[in-house]
Amino acid sequence: MAAGGFWNRFLIPGGLWLLLLFAFPLCFVLALSFGYVDDLGRAVYSTELSNYGDAFDATYLPVLIRSVGYALATTALCFAIGYPVAYYIARYGGRYRNALIALLVLPFFVNYLVRTYAWVALLADEGLVNTAVVDLGLRDEGLRMINTPWAVIGGLTYGYLVFMILPVYGALERLDRSVIEAGKDLYGTPLQTFLHVTLPQTKQGILAGAVLVFLPSVGDFVAAQLLGGPDTYMVGNLIQDQFFAANNWPFGAALTVVMMIFLSIWMFAYLRSAARDVRGAAI
Amino acid sequence: MSDLSRRQLLQAGAGLALAGYGLSGCTVSRQVDRSTAGQVITPEIDGDLLLYNWAQYMDPALKSGFAEKYGVEVSEVNFDNLEAMVVKLRSGAQYDMIWPSTEYVARLAAEGLLAKFDRTLLKNVDGVSSFYNEGWWDPENEYSVPYTYYTTGIAWREDEVSGMTGSWNDLLNPDGEGRMFILDDFQEAIGEANLINGYDLNTEIPEELEVSKQTLLAQKEFARGFSTNSVQNLVSGSAVLHQAWNGDIVNVRNQVDEPELYRYETCSEGVPVGTDFMCIPVNARSPGTAMLFMDWIIQPENAARNVRWNGYPQPCDGGKEQFAELVKEEPAIDVNIEELSDTAMEYRLDNPDARRLWTDVFTEVKAS
Repeated sequence: MAAGGFWNRFLIPGGLWLLLLFAFPLCFVLALSFGYVDDLGRAVYSTELSNYGDAFDATYLPVLIRSVGYALATTALCFAIGYPVAYYIARYGGRYRNALIALLVLPFFVNYLVRTYAWVALLADEGLVNTAVVDLGLRDEGLRMINTPWAVIGGLTYGYLVFMILPVYGALERLDRSVIEAGKDLYGTPLQTFLHVTLPQTKQGILAGAVLVFLPSVGDFVAAQLLGGPDTYMVGNLIQDQFFAANNWPFGAALTVVMMIFLSIWMFAYLRSAARDVRGAAI
Repeated sequence: MSDLSRRQLLQAGAGLALAGYGLSGCTVSRQVDRSTAGQVITPEIDGDLLLYNWAQYMDPALKSGFAEKYGVEVSEVNFDNLEAMVVKLRSGAQYDMIWPSTEYVARLAAEGLLAKFDRTLLKNVDGVSSFYNEGWWDPENEYSVPYTYYTTGIAWREDEVSGMTGSWNDLLNPDGEGRMFILDDFQEAIGEANLINGYDLNTEIPEELEVSKQTLLAQKEFARGFSTNSVQNLVSGSAVLHQAWNGDIVNVRNQVDEPELYRYETCSEGVPVGTDFMCIPVNARSPGTAMLFMDWIIQPENAARNVRWNGYPQPCDGGKEQFAELVKEEPAIDVNIEELSDTAMEYRLDNPDARRLWTDVFTEVKAS
């Protein structure tokens, strides 16, 4: 008990940090969401509920559905691309493991916005990729890649891929190799062993990665703004426009709160599943 | 973001939201120091300069030249959004000079955030276009001196699009299908639709805005996107038709191999004209130096130099001539000062309800 009390103190700096710089500002967002805009265009704190009424307007439903759809597609793609990468590094990386992980993380030292701008230059009609395709004689005319939903999902996948790879890599690295050997000893084919042993054993890593990719993807606005077309408007764009174009901070705040509650539901579902697994493992 | 924090924050949030009701009626800003409001500012050195401007919007040589001549430091920070700029000002941040648009001059002045100064004390003020005397945004000439001005029109690629007619309907030129962009700016987007429908540029009538919304929805079907990044869209080949600001087309033509293919037209239904101004915030540390700097910017040689650098015309002696010279291959890019005398062609939404109506229309178009 005494030891626990001692170690608990280490939570204080981080807890204070989160409280002051995260929880406290969020309360202002919450308070602002009940406000209105005065004649000079300034946001005024108040107790109105109308912003929440507006937030559930049917106009915005397609935007939400689209955002969730893109985020789910992004999560699936990140899994499909990220799992093999993580698997290879964890199983066959050998002494280069850490170097390979460092290489994966390296591009993320550059700001996401800047990297997405680079994609614009790559994917444009007369951009690097299309110019190469035409010059190599693969096609007479370039492909239309940018300003499509696929470009947005591609941009999101690129932006958040590493958040899938790292937790999956962690789970694979912790995986006891003897259980894979046991699977083979029991005449499992490599595929069966993978499906019945490796995959279930790394489920928590996959789930953690899925949450880390899904949550920021739903709220992302950079990919849709730079790579999207007329039909790729996402919730993040909607919220950003309320703050910086429509000059309606209270409504933007209300949308933010609704969005946070919506995302928390997914978060709690993940936490419950993780807790269940821990209990299951303990038995 | 740890799990714990999210839970904590939801609990704490509920409690603090209640506390938030105590804030009811307060605006979201700290008190700005207005103690110097009403003081007479004289154009003489009273400290170093901190400029707050759009990025890449002024020739750096003007800053270093000024710093050298007057022995002061000139620093610059940038905003990428006028709303963000206003928020910084309201929060009490101190800058010596800012670059708001027409509507924002009016708003900031009404809020008491701008310092008054006597523009006749500027040596080069006589060269400033008379259009900027006593405009609705600054009826007494107390707050602003114009920096650059621009028109909104249509840019297109001559090798891809033919049959342009000088009308806003050209946005639906069949050659541009799927490769046309509308500016991602609620006023510019709704504005051109209003002009197509023969309405006042700034109409606040809901029925008219509803019709313009339908116009925009039809354009959206035809378009490739909403974007203000016309330079990149045109240079990268993704756009062949683009609602655009004239200065951006100067930049496009500077960047491509065959500039003569990148054309620009203003439209017969109406030419929206915008201006960015130079203003001094009420809480500026060095308002005197700021006035001297304004004078420096509108000095003819400096104005010409700046126009060459950033591609936008300045409505003052030196700046106007330099711009006409710069775009002599495509004269449509030049701003005819006579167009400016038609005030209906400036965006002006000073009623918050009308503004809400407009932004809702644009959101509905983008969200659908």
